[in-house]
Amino acid sequence: MAGFDHLQIQLTQEEKDILNGSQGEMLQKVMKTVVLYGEALEAERLVDITGKGHFVITHAIPGISPSMEMLENLTREGLKTCHPFTLDPAAPLDYDNWFLTPKQIASLDEMYLTQERYDEKMMQLGFLNMDACTCTPYLPEVGNIPERGDILAWSESACAIFGNSVLGARTNRNGAIMDLLCNIVGKVPLSGFLTDQGRQATWLMEIKTDTLPLPQMLGAAIGKRVLADVPYIVGLDRFLGPGMNSATRDYLHEMGAACASAGAVALYHVENITPEAMDHGKDLLVSDFSSHTIFEQELTALKASYPVLWKDKKATPEKCFLGCPHLSVEQMDWWAKQLTGQVKVNTTICAAPDVLNHYKEMEKGYQKLLQAGVKFSAACPMQLFDNDLAKDDAIITNSNKLRTYTTARFFSDEEIVKILLTGTMEGENNE
Amino acid sequence: MSRLFKGRPVLSGTGRGEALVSHGGFNTYATFFTSIHVPMDKAICADSGNVDLYCKDLAGKIICLPKTTGSTSGGAVWQRLVKMGNAPKAMLFSQHIDSLVAGGLLVADIWADHRIITVDQLGDAFLESVRDGDVIEIVEDGTVKIGV
Repeated sequence: MAGFDHLQIQLTQEEKDILNGSQGEMLQKVMKTVVLYGEALEAERLVDITGKGHFVITHAIPGISPSMEMLENLTREGLKTCHPFTLDPAAPLDYDNWFLTPKQIASLDEMYLTQERYDEKMMQLGFLNMDACTCTPYLPEVGNIPERGDILAWSESACAIFGNSVLGARTNRNGAIMDLLCNIVGKVPLSGFLTDQGRQATWLMEIKTDTLPLPQMLGAAIGKRVLADVPYIVGLDRFLGPGMNSATRDYLHEMGAACASAGAVALYHVENITPEAMDHGKDLLVSDFSSHTIFEQELTALKASYPVLWKDKKATPEKCFLGCPHLSVEQMDWWAKQLTGQVKVNTTICAAPDVLNHYKEMEKGYQKLLQAGVKFSAACPMQLFDNDLAKDDAIITNSNKLRTYTTARFFSDEEIVKILLTGTMEGENNE
Repeated sequence: MSRLFKGRPVLSGTGRGEALVSHGGFNTYATFFTSIHVPMDKAICADSGNVDLYCKDLAGKIICLPKTTGSTSGGAVWQRLVKMGNAPKAMLFSQHIDSLVAGGLLVADIWADHRIITVDQLGDAFLESVRDGDVIEIVEDGTVKIGV
């Protein structure tokens, strides 16, 4: 193990052998990357991954995903992941659903020129199937639902936080490419959120609003406050009730996505709701925890502070993207009930392919939304902003994550219903 | 008079350059969202949420920060930046390096064969002391000199 003798991390003989090249140069390089990752994180050792993977690397675009050269090198050696994996949502190449201009379509065609070849590489590496592209792999229709205590190396901030917090699995926030490499060696550094100590809460976050806060705003406020720490959230069970049900699950997946993009939160506990909080309660708090109380005013002020990044700040909204993260069947049904007439803004709802298929079979809500003029897509709206593709479009969204990364304007679900049905921003702050 | 700080070399090296400071979390993906797609010699910070760095050119600079935040897509950004030639010269963390950026910088180092010198655990006093435009020298053992 020449050159690695100084390492603090403890390795098994098998890991040392791979590091010495016993299973080929490419696996040696992968193992070296994972071992040095463990060293950087000051992990005591590597541990085995016990569940399916979920990776953020869907798109054939360098800078977001591995280069084709890297994938060629990995697959040439026949390397693949220890368990099958799901991927983030596909590229928005279903043009009919996105109300695109010919120029935007041409740019997307050029950007995703190698997508087909990239998909083939992903299949060779262990991709579950071509429909397993979503940022909600944990929904029952998709079925990548880790068990409590499973050791994972997931990426996609919205998935890692959901897996950790709501399902009680254990993953760090792994970056794109490192997610794949860990799953190829089948091991991940034992550090951070994989340890009991790393899962203790360092913040007591009391929610003292009069009504259930908007999850996308509550998540953003928490993420901004605690950054990468672990909050123990008190007061949500007043509105959501104890334990888990589909409404609570959907609330938490919205809140978590905003939490992870506003800060770097990978785990939260919610009193009387999430599994570890159910078992251990406030014992999860470290002795010298910090405290913060959230009232309505903080959330209102935060929402008002978001700058309008549209080119024409007083523009009439041209498009609306709903479903970042992807919506559940129950959430789509909410929109079907609210949109009582024809939408006057081009609207796309995003959900996992399997969730969309299931919703189509339910017919009533799906047909109602279609009749209202809504389009459906299983892709990711964020990629429409790559290369500044949509920077001049006046786009509204109910996703604080999408707002964080793009020029889209954020509104609550209720505000968006009003805008979609009237086609105007009347009554909304348009400065 | 120079000020000295000692951290842990995560990706060791020697280097000298100009500091840019982010006092809040550094959202990698939001910062480089535009500069990874369009080949250019600059890396203009596109994160409007970062009041310290927004619209500044990060290429070739020594970035001083507490830790990184945001989307895990940020992990792949580093490999792209070094290939395009507009990556920062070094990353100096006041806190312990986080998993997201650690993975990204290592992948760039091992798979793109380009080192962005990385030192962590320099302490809060480091971030309070360093200012935009300070000349910084980094030594192999993780020593950082400000104002050389």
